[in-house]
Amino acid sequence: MNDIVQRVRQLLATRLKLAKTVDEITDDTPLFAPTGLGLDSIDALELVLGLEKEFGVVIEDRAVAIRVLTSIKTIAEFIQSQGKG
Amino acid sequence: MIALKNVTVGDPHLQGHFPGNPIMPGVLLVEAMAQAAGLLLPEGSSALLAQIKEARFRRPVVPGDQMRIEAERLGGLGALHRFAVKASVEGAPVAEAELVLAVNDRGREGTP
Repeated sequence: MNDIVQRVRQLLATRLKLAKTVDEITDDTPLFAPTGLGLDSIDALELVLGLEKEFGVVIEDRAVAIRVLTSIKTIAEFIQSQGKG
Repeated sequence: MIALKNVTVGDPHLQGHFPGNPIMPGVLLVEAMAQAAGLLLPEGSSALLAQIKEARFRRPVVPGDQMRIEAERLGGLGALHRFAVKASVEGAPVAEAELVLAVNDRGREGTP
């Protein structure tokens, strides 16, 4: 699980243009809230495509994306629940 | 999806770009590429450009050129769709980009 979390952090750092560094956020920081990373819908698409490439998990449904992309922790848990990583 | 655009000296945007040296403006190459990508969306969709990534312009496109535009859908989420698009003239690459289009159904209904 820790390994998955590290790879998700790496993905966020390399694929998104973040105002903060990923070291500044915790695994529970809300990714889309303005108080968290303040990501937008284009970032969400970038993340979904990145997760598919890196972990082989497919997210096509918007409702699933909203649930899964809540935080680093929820992304890592989803990857694990899909038997990937 | 493969689309063709014939660039002719009569295209109005070439008149001043540049005087005596007509070159298809880079932004219009991107627009042509976005329109080709839009053809991969469900028929009747209205879409807007949401992101231009990794755009490269490799050589000028001039009157007499026939641009061949090749668009491939990479994925999507909700209203957003990502495409890889390449444009070439006689087999030589002239431009490429990754484009994100946002389907805008409100535009189709004519409401703001």
